[in-house]
Amino acid sequence: MLFITISRQTGSRGKEIAGLLAGKMELPIINRDLVMKEWFPEVAGKHELHMLTESSGFYLSRTPQGITFAEYLENKLRGFINNQPAIIYGLGAQIIFADHPAALHVKIIASPEVRTNRIMQAHNLEKKDAQRFLEITDRKHKRYISTIYGKDWSDPLLYHLTLNTDFLSNEEAASLIYSLAQNRQIGSEPSAELPEPAGKKTVVFKHPSEEEFAKILDMNELDWEYEPRTFPIKWDAEGNITLAFSPDFYLPRFDTYIELTTMNQKYVSEKKKKVELLKKLYPGTNINIVFKNDFQTLAKRFGLRGGTDNK
Amino acid sequence: MSLSGLGKTIFTQEQIQQRIVEMGQEINRDYQGKDLVIVGVLKGSLYFVADLTRQLTIPINIDFLSIGVRTGQTNKTGVVSFKKDLDISITDRHVLLVEDVIGTGLTLGYICQHLESAKPASLKICTLLDNPAERLLNINIAYRCFIMPDLYVVGYGLDHEGRYRNLPYIAEYHRGTQKV
Repeated sequence: MLFITISRQTGSRGKEIAGLLAGKMELPIINRDLVMKEWFPEVAGKHELHMLTESSGFYLSRTPQGITFAEYLENKLRGFINNQPAIIYGLGAQIIFADHPAALHVKIIASPEVRTNRIMQAHNLEKKDAQRFLEITDRKHKRYISTIYGKDWSDPLLYHLTLNTDFLSNEEAASLIYSLAQNRQIGSEPSAELPEPAGKKTVVFKHPSEEEFAKILDMNELDWEYEPRTFPIKWDAEGNITLAFSPDFYLPRFDTYIELTTMNQKYVSEKKKKVELLKKLYPGTNINIVFKNDFQTLAKRFGLRGGTDNK
Repeated sequence: MSLSGLGKTIFTQEQIQQRIVEMGQEINRDYQGKDLVIVGVLKGSLYFVADLTRQLTIPINIDFLSIGVRTGQTNKTGVVSFKKDLDISITDRHVLLVEDVIGTGLTLGYICQHLESAKPASLKICTLLDNPAERLLNINIAYRCFIMPDLYVVGYGLDHEGRYRNLPYIAEYHRGTQKV
């Protein structure tokens, strides 16, 4: 059953959102308080508990069982999740369960200005003190993950979803996570990235000529992939992709992309420009164009229809 | 033989032979002390293989492949297949594949994959005519005599409907011309 890890920046209201979500989903929250009060005392004395509160490096010290405190925590978390779903708040759970198929990893953030204001109000602090407070807690968060797991906490690829509470209320954020969790429970999970079953996958071609060209490749026993990669070739001033190009075929054995142009001459020029741009931006990429006449010659040679429609 | 349809000579007999001598010297140098198998692709490479191998002073073996497109059993789609496979083993031996013309490289890719499955020590490609402008596959051509002109050509192994292979030179051919 699906469970949720929540990572948060201090001042992002992650704690409040986790609380709301736990209520909606009727799930327990596992957080540092619970770990320090109920789990670590099983293997740590007063001094060790103090050190675990103060130092991320101490998590790499060994418990009487011979494993590190970090490993002990990981084992406890895995044991808990094996028995029942939960919301895990912090604790590096996004790393521990990075590849777990039932995990949904969420990160809650807010801008430095908004977080500073929230800390000023919550703790009745001057602005510079609130900024200093954030600086220290951010550094501690980062250090905990990097020391124990060697990962960058801020890496967006660690998370399924990142929510900015500059623009979302606590209720909205909790509802968004709840909806996503519901959808993932109903649908097959995970929704993407499942390995392809063995054998040739079914390909839906965008144009009949592509299907015919695939047959020509098959006849020559040349392995191919259909539109396996999209190359960004133009960006706007802010770095957003404004033009991308997906060559029709890739032949891995020959490290070659092939683009079909069985269409009107005016569009062929555009496609040629795209290919030239791609070659310039991605030097060393082998890409070739099959023009209309060449395609028809090939199709005739191999007894195919020849794709008379324009592409 | 009727020579109807033949146009101007593109590569004379002398030009071809001169280029083959040069290429032979290169191959002799590159394969010195190596166990070399020359694999010709029938029928187009027939004369080229014959003249090229006579320029080689290193010990070699010669074999031939023949491939064709035949109509499938259940539909009209063509199937590329070997009409004649190699008679000798190329495993752990250096192979030089000799072609008459290389265009898209699709058929060449098919042949290369087949030869590589026999695990030769190396596989290089040699061609009489190369048309890199037509190339679709990224295949390195180690030795080429000439760049293919943008014309339909016959002679020196190249044919039109099975004819003109035995011309000692390469000439343009006008396919629209009525044959006698």
